[in-house]
Formats: sequence, structure tokens, C-alpha cells
Amino acid sequence: MNNWFKSGSPWVWLSAGGVSISLISVLGLLGLIAWRGLSYFWPADIYQFEMTDEQGKNLTVIGEIYERESIPASQLVHLNLNIDESAETIERLLIKTGNRELVSLDFRWILVPQINKTSLPEELVVIERRTNGNFYGYIEEVILDGQAVEQNKMLQLVERVSDFQTEMEDLQKSDIGAINYQIERTRLKERKHILDDTLTTQLQQEFKDKVSGLKTEYQVLEKQLMALREKISRDQIVMRAMDGQKVTINFEDVLQVTFNNKLNVFEKLKMFFSQIGTFVSEDPREANTEGGVFPAIFGTVLMVLLMTVIVSPLGVVAAIYLHEYAGNNALTKLLRIAVINLAGVPSIVYGVFGLGFFVYMVGGSLDQLFYTETLPSPTFGTPGVMWSALTLAILTLPVVIVSTEEGLSRIPSAMRHGSLALGATKAETLWRIILPIASPAIMTGIILAIARAAGEVAPLMLVGVVKMAPNLPLDGNFPFLHLDRKFMHLGFHIYDVGFQSPNVEAARPLVYATALLLVTIIVALNITAVSIRNRLREKYRMLEH
Amino acid sequence: MISVTPKNLSVPLSQQRVKLDLNNLSPEQVALEIKNLDLYYGDKQALQNISMSIPKGQVTAFIGPSGCGKSTLLRCINRMNDLVDICKITGQINLNGENIYDRHTDVAALRRKVGMVFQRPNPFPKSIYENVVYGLRITGENNRRVLDEAAENALRSAALWNEVKDRLHESALGLSGGQQQRLVIARAIAIEPEVLLLDEPTSALDPISTLTIEELINDLKKQFTVVIVTHNMQQAARVSDQTAFMYMGDLIEYSDTNTLFTTPMKKKTEDYITGRYG
Repeated sequence: MNNWFKSGSPWVWLSAGGVSISLISVLGLLGLIAWRGLSYFWPADIYQFEMTDEQGKNLTVIGEIYERESIPASQLVHLNLNIDESAETIERLLIKTGNRELVSLDFRWILVPQINKTSLPEELVVIERRTNGNFYGYIEEVILDGQAVEQNKMLQLVERVSDFQTEMEDLQKSDIGAINYQIERTRLKERKHILDDTLTTQLQQEFKDKVSGLKTEYQVLEKQLMALREKISRDQIVMRAMDGQKVTINFEDVLQVTFNNKLNVFEKLKMFFSQIGTFVSEDPREANTEGGVFPAIFGTVLMVLLMTVIVSPLGVVAAIYLHEYAGNNALTKLLRIAVINLAGVPSIVYGVFGLGFFVYMVGGSLDQLFYTETLPSPTFGTPGVMWSALTLAILTLPVVIVSTEEGLSRIPSAMRHGSLALGATKAETLWRIILPIASPAIMTGIILAIARAAGEVAPLMLVGVVKMAPNLPLDGNFPFLHLDRKFMHLGFHIYDVGFQSPNVEAARPLVYATALLLVTIIVALNITAVSIRNRLREKYRMLEH
Repeated sequence: MISVTPKNLSVPLSQQRVKLDLNNLSPEQVALEIKNLDLYYGDKQALQNISMSIPKGQVTAFIGPSGCGKSTLLRCINRMNDLVDICKITGQINLNGENIYDRHTDVAALRRKVGMVFQRPNPFPKSIYENVVYGLRITGENNRRVLDEAAENALRSAALWNEVKDRLHESALGLSGGQQQRLVIARAIAIEPEVLLLDEPTSALDPISTLTIEELINDLKKQFTVVIVTHNMQQAARVSDQTAFMYMGDLIEYSDTNTLFTTPMKKKTEDYITGRYG
């Protein structure tokens, strides 16, 4: 035994155990998130249950099985159920029944012993809608231009309608959006002239002409939009819900009609991927509980990139000063300790600092100086993507400084001396020799900064993230990149969907799906940075002496 | 494998060498004049009152036991000791009649005139070509043709051209130790310095590479004044025209190599070259 301890193998076992536990937790975490998140996209079977309730009434329940659980039978004794007394536990199912306009909750629990018959009728349809969530039921009638038509034309119809829908969205978002933006700009220009007291009657007339020109354009587009809407509103679909009620749904509302029970595995797989595609490419609907997360993905990536652009030069320059130019004295050491300690400050504190300093002080002053025409409504004096990027840049600055400094101190002095002996000045040596060799270390710092910044939510809630941003920070209107705009962020989206949404139960799979997406994006950003670093490493590989 | 024919070394040393009176050199013959040089590392004095003249177009070797100050003296000539914070220097070193320790000296310009090669090969992690033209790029030379020509000349002078001409744009780190050291020499002579300082250039190399470098040194003195520090007395005897023996920060004896190795005037020198200590 004693020998066994001396041989060191217990420590090998202990450390191997530690590694395994870490590995298992990481894989378990990813596995759970992936399973829960991805199953959201898989087209579920739609069941029809014939059952008898406590009052002895027969009823039909149609929906997807969401969850199963066993509960102790004793809990249900008071319900006077007509069930086997000897059973200790009873299984119950959570069914997503949708049809929000008929029942206020789109979920209900049913007890397995009450079910008389379970079936998967092929004619059952799930309609994904723009509002009110899914509708489950049978198709009664399809109405095209006010006339009832054959049901098998319906899928064609859905396609046609969705084409109209995209056309309408394009009109609304880009064309009409651009006109609105220009009208607003013209108004602001005019106001600036008024404030500066330089508004001549000629200018005034110009502005007026411009605005009325834009307004005419606007009216044309609006008419087009109305015409499209009119076209769509004449198409309807009449559905029969599980309780026999007939419901008329306008095609305007319909996103997708699927016979889930008719699909084979390949069709389901196809739908699975198209659902994922929709999720990452579309805007959210229904208070974020449905639809996609594209603006959040875009916001996250843009903010992280902006942060990287800000933090890299700043951190590298600071590290160069500390390592190459500052004297090796007590003050430098103090500075270094201060920088390292900055990494330990809670992130929300950075948020508070960002709000107070960047948003109110810097942003407020910018507004006073350059955007007087929009006051009192602020332009930069309000949380926005630039302030978020700056706040996170400060948050991650210590990481970049520390790893850059480490990289600089690892470079053998022979490299510096070689360059200096050839008549290079210190600055030339830095630019041409030291920085390229240190670039892998700098990249390491940037990788760590990205990893930290992409997952940070708390400070962002104070300096720019919102639940729902009407516009992306990047669009077709000059100057294209709108740094003053608020943005959406995947981390905040998870919090918002999971804990702030009106329909938490329905949104839970979305939380997992969004979390999976966030992890994927961070991993992707990191892999990109790591591969850049590895290429640099290969290029500036030092000869092993 | 590099084939080495020590053609220059096969000629008897005495026939190659022109004997100079080191105490009475005419100004045209002097490349460097060191006058009353004292050097301190903090409180410790590392060089004591060194005075000597190094003749132009010849190879001068500094020998002596470890810690005698020979490398320190060498590094004074291109002011590499400036990089050591605690180092303090008094006295003069004159290059072309100008004191390099003058307040107005442009150190970078000085180092372009006095090139240096270190003990271990230190090529930059760039291509062979970029290593050679580094000094020229620093001076702002970016004309492709000028750079190409300079690179070829320097590599030829450093006897490396034939080995690397087909892979100029590959990493310099892929060369062998001896090739790297010759590359570093090529890099130093590409900017056409007046003086070339070699700080134990072969101590990290195998015997064959050493021989190649020694042969190269013999060729280099046609263009440059070479000062070499070596702890290998045979090497000093083989390659140098003048030899200075240093001991504990003092310049003990300085004369032409033949005299120093055959009839040393000082007891310490004799003890050292006969291997009684060091």
C-alpha cells in the first residue's frame, strides 16, 4: 500500500478522475442542451385522445405530447376518479393543444387512465400562425377569393400566400422603411437649420418639396401594400377544432400547414432542417416566444466584433507600454496589479460604469455637440450597440493586456538584439519583429476576450440590449452601420424567453434552442480565432534551442 | 553535407599577414580607436582603462578566459551595452575620428556602420530573403531590384548563395545551425557596414560549420574590418591578424597574432596560451 502511494499512481488516478468529471460535465451539458433544443424542431406526431373526464363526459383532445410524468395516486383521490385503486402511481401527459382563441391555455394535463382510445389520424393538421400560436384540427373548407375550392389545392395556396407575405415584408421593411428614414432625416435637417437660425425660405421650400415627394412615393407603396393585403385577405381556411367548433383562419395569418402524421422520416428530416433554418433566419414573433432569433444572432455577433475591434489595439498598446517602455519600478508593478485586478470586478459594475460614463456623460455630450436637432430625444445619450461594445471592451481589456504582456516577455532577447544590431530603432524592432512574433499570444488574449464577452449579459442590460429591437444596427440606409441603435442579444434573449415571456411553458424548448445557438456561435467565433492563431504560430514558430 | 576546402587556410599564415606596428598606425590605417575606456556594471568595474587601435581591413581577435570582458568590450563598439540599464561607460571609441559615445551620435546609424553577429544564430522568423534584406528595409529601401541584388551579393559573400538560392522565400528557421549563422552574417553585411563584430560566432556550431565560417571570415576582411571574440585559441591563431589578450577587465597584451602566440611578452599571456589556466 505504502509503495503504491510512493509510486505516484494514486495521484495519477486522482487527476485522471478530475479530468473525466470535467469532461463528463461539459459533454453532459452540451448533450442536454442539444437534445432539448433540437427536439423543438422535430415535427411531432399529433395525437387524438378519446377520453372520459371526472364528470363522466366524453371528450376529444387533440395535440402533441409535450411531457410525461408519474404522480402518486394518493394525490388524485379527491377527484373521485373511476380508476384502479390499487395503482400506486398514475401517469399523466402534458398535451399541447394550441388553439389559443378557443381555450386560454394552450397546454392541458390528461390522466392516462381516463383515455379510452389513442389514434394518429392522418387528416390532422397543424397550422403555424403569425398570431395565437399553433392550431390543431381538421380542414373543413378552403376558400380562395371567396370561393370554396378543393382541399388539395391548399398547399399550393400556402406557397402563394407566403410569396405575397415576403413581398409585403420587403415593401414594409426596406422600401417604406427607407422612405420613413429619409423623411425623418429631412425633418431633422430642417430643424437644425431652425436651431442655427439659417433657414431661408428657399431652403424651407426645398425641404417641403422633398418631403412631399417622399410622401407621394410612400403613398404609392402603401397602395401596393394594401392591394397585396386585400388579395390575401380573400383567402381563408375553415378548420374544425377538437371540440367540433368551426374556426375560420385568414391565410394572412398562416405560416405553414403540415400533416405531421402523414410525413415519413425523410420528410420529417427535411422539415426539421427547414425549421432550424427558419429559426436562425427569421424575426421573433409573439413577444419572442415564437419565430426565429435572427436579430439576436446578428446583434451578438456584431457587438462581439465591434468589441474585438476596440479592445485589441487598446490592449496591445497598453501591454507594449507596460512591457517595453515603462520603467521596471514600483509604479509599473502597481499598474500591472491594478490591471489584473480589473478582471475580477463583477461585470454588472462595468454595466453601471458604462451607463454612467459612456451613455450619460460621453453620449450626452455628443448629443449636445452634434445632434442638437433631435433633442430632447437622445441619439447617443441612450444605451446602444456602441456603448455595449465599449463597455465590454473595458471589461475584457485586462485579459488582452495580460496575455499580450506574457507573449512579449517570452520573446528571446536575441531577436531584439539581432534587429537593433542591424540599425533598427526600438520602434522599428517592435513593429517588424516583436509584434509579429507576439501575435499568437495577442490572439490568445483576443480569444479569451471573445469567449468572455459573448456570454456576458448583465452589463449589456444597462447599456444597450433590448427585448425587441425594431431595426438591425446595420441596414441599407446611410450611414449603414447605426452604432446608436439598441440591439438584441442571444444571452438576453434566453433570459427574456425563459423568464419574462407570457407563455413560459411554450417557450421552454426555445430557451434550450437559443442556448444551443449561443454556444454554437461562441464556439464558432473561437474556432475562427484559434485557427488564425495556429496559422500565426506556425508562421512565427520559434526555433527550439 | 557542405564540402569544405580550406584553401585560404592552407597557405602558411605568415605569408598572408602584413605586419603592422600597432602603436604607430597612420590615421588611414585605423578603423577603430579605443581610448581610456572604463565600464561599470553598477558598482562593479568590468573594463579597466582599455586603449587600443584596431586596424582597417584586418581581423582582430579578442581572447581571454570567461568573464574577462572581451565580449563586453566588443559590445561597446556598437553600443549594444546601452541596452543594459545599469551599465556606465567612460572614455572614447572613435570611428572615423568621431567619438561614438558623443551625445549627438545616432545609435541606429552607428549600428548600421558597425554590424554584429551573435554567439547563437538568431535569424528572424521570416523568410531567408526577408532576413537578408531586413536592414535595407529599415533604411526605407523597398525597390525590388535593389533588394534582390543586395540579397544575392550578401548571400554570395557569406558563402550561402548556392545552398539557399532555390528556397529564398522559405522560412529561415528551416536552415541548419551553420547555415543560420552564415545567414546572420549575410544579414549583417547586406547593409555594408565598415566594421563587423563577431561574438564567438562558432561556439554553437559543429566543427565543419566552424571551418566554413572561419574560411568566410578570411574572405570578409577584404571588404570589412572584422573584430572577433573567441574562446578558442586555435581559432584566433587561424583567422586573426591581430590578437588582444584580456584578463579580468584588463587588456594584457595586444600584438600581431604570430608574435602573441609564439613570443608573448607577458607572463599571463604565456600562461594562458600554454593552457596553464583559463
